[in-house]
Amino acid sequence: MSSMHANPSTLLSADNITLGSAGAPAGKGLGTGLVAVGVLLAAAGLGLGLSKGGSTAMHAMAAFTVGVMSVIAISLGCLFFLMVWSLLNAGWGATIKRQFENVASLLPIAWLGLVVILIIEIASKGLMLQWLRPEFASDYLLAKKAVYFWGVGGPGDLPLFFIARTLFYGAAWWYLTHIVVGNARKMDATSDPATAAKLAAQVRFTSAWGLPVFALTLSFAAFDYLMGVDFKFFSTMWGVYYFATAAFSGLGFVAVVLAVLLGKGKLRGVVTEEHFHDLGKLMFAFTVFWAYISFCQYFLYWYSNIPEETAFYLHRKTLGWQYLGAFLMIGHFAVPFLFILSRHVKKVRGLLMATGVWFMIVHVADIFWVVRPMVYPTGDGPGLGGAHLDVLGIGGVLLAFLGLVIAKVGSLPLVGVNDPYMGEALEHKNYV
Amino acid sequence: MQIAASSRVFVTDRDEKIYGVLAEFATPAALYHAAEQVRDAGYSKWDTFSPFPIHGMEEAMGIKRTILPVLVAIGGFSGAGLGFLMQSWMSAVDYKMVTAGQPYLAWQSFVPITFELGILLSAFTCIIGMLALNGLPRWNHPLFKKERFLRSSDDKYFVCIEAADPNFHPEKTRALLEKAGATSIELVEE
Repeated sequence: MSSMHANPSTLLSADNITLGSAGAPAGKGLGTGLVAVGVLLAAAGLGLGLSKGGSTAMHAMAAFTVGVMSVIAISLGCLFFLMVWSLLNAGWGATIKRQFENVASLLPIAWLGLVVILIIEIASKGLMLQWLRPEFASDYLLAKKAVYFWGVGGPGDLPLFFIARTLFYGAAWWYLTHIVVGNARKMDATSDPATAAKLAAQVRFTSAWGLPVFALTLSFAAFDYLMGVDFKFFSTMWGVYYFATAAFSGLGFVAVVLAVLLGKGKLRGVVTEEHFHDLGKLMFAFTVFWAYISFCQYFLYWYSNIPEETAFYLHRKTLGWQYLGAFLMIGHFAVPFLFILSRHVKKVRGLLMATGVWFMIVHVADIFWVVRPMVYPTGDGPGLGGAHLDVLGIGGVLLAFLGLVIAKVGSLPLVGVNDPYMGEALEHKNYV
Repeated sequence: MQIAASSRVFVTDRDEKIYGVLAEFATPAALYHAAEQVRDAGYSKWDTFSPFPIHGMEEAMGIKRTILPVLVAIGGFSGAGLGFLMQSWMSAVDYKMVTAGQPYLAWQSFVPITFELGILLSAFTCIIGMLALNGLPRWNHPLFKKERFLRSSDDKYFVCIEAADPNFHPEKTRALLEKAGATSIELVEE
């Protein structure tokens, strides 16, 4: 009804939807530089820690794990929304989908971080993954759980089932991104609507069976590399907990990417305050979801007060970690909840970008809170003296990831112009 | 019942009080553009009626955003705050009892009820506030007396400008609606 219909061809002009000049991808130098620096930093952190051995090696490994699990969560979150939108026939996201695709496409690369962790853990006989340590070989609980870790054999053997699972995560994540993201790239090259529709149909078919596979691989990856840090602990909430933080961080990250692109004068009229509004609603929803899930997990263990379960929270409520826990309650829930509760804030690009940056900080703090207290369980750590290991490990992985995203964003058109839903997304409006 | 903002009262020849002027339009587009004209003429007490929601009608009518969300926020936060206070007072002041070896003021155990009361009071504020702001419930509406108006739930589109509007004038309002392309215009008695 509105008389304000802008012409799609001007909105989708090459100048508006490509970074840099025609033909020359932008951000390649910056991206490659960041990746190089990031990988160097992460390698330096690991090298520094592993060469010293003992708790310092554990510390470096924990930092690296925090970095890897943080970026895997971001990529998984983006993949999740792509699959869900495809299944729900959701049109409004077509103009912001490309940035979700860019981040999701890095999932197989982020998975390589898990392979690094796997190799170091097996070679070092359980720096962080305690069940690999010889000292627990005769542990009663470990014997009961041996099938899950080793499949065949037991303590001392190569954990075949564990290795096979990690390889399966890689294969599943590669295939899902290969179809979901790859088909979107193929759409760029075709101007034939029938071909584009066919590619979209294949994405939908893959998403239908891919979503359960996604849920299981995400959950088990979280069991293996986060919950497995303390093999005596178990939580049936754990997969959902990691999913909540994945969806949360994926949304926050993409909000920042989009806001930066608009700040560079791109995507004008293509990504509007309406898209930010909806993105903000999802960010709000997953702020609440994370709080709900993490409180539920905590509440049941607090309530039942069983030693093998409460040990997890005992580690995180003592030795100063309680302050990080309190920070998470306030920073991961209360602050964003109150801040993006208002409809106005969700629509303003700058405010939503600030929220996205904040999401990244609390997201990494969340994974840090899960892994790091296990390094010095008796509080005999170097305190802030060991902070350089955290900075190198976490910062290195995050920088490398950021570099990959920048290179990816610059190398492609900023929207999938032939997306079947593009028309709907350009006209998208929240009529309430 | 609407209360007239001004002291002016319009009556028909048969001495019936006038509720307003009802104009019929043939298409959603005609209604949309008529709404823009009524809005620009400065009317405030009026409404449009269509068998289905028309996208963008809020802007065409110049409807301001409702204050309901603010009310709901106040209701929700009061509910959560009072819920927490109630439990704290009960467990730590009024009737101290050690439960499961936890402190009296174990905030963890207060969370579910705090949450529930937050939800409860926001839901109540939402539904009661919505009804109050809409002037509901009410027994009847003057427009229901018009046979023609029933087609607003089928295939016709209507604008009704109320006599209680300070800008209302029997001839001028009628002329405005005619100019806007109404296919039929009639007076509505209360």
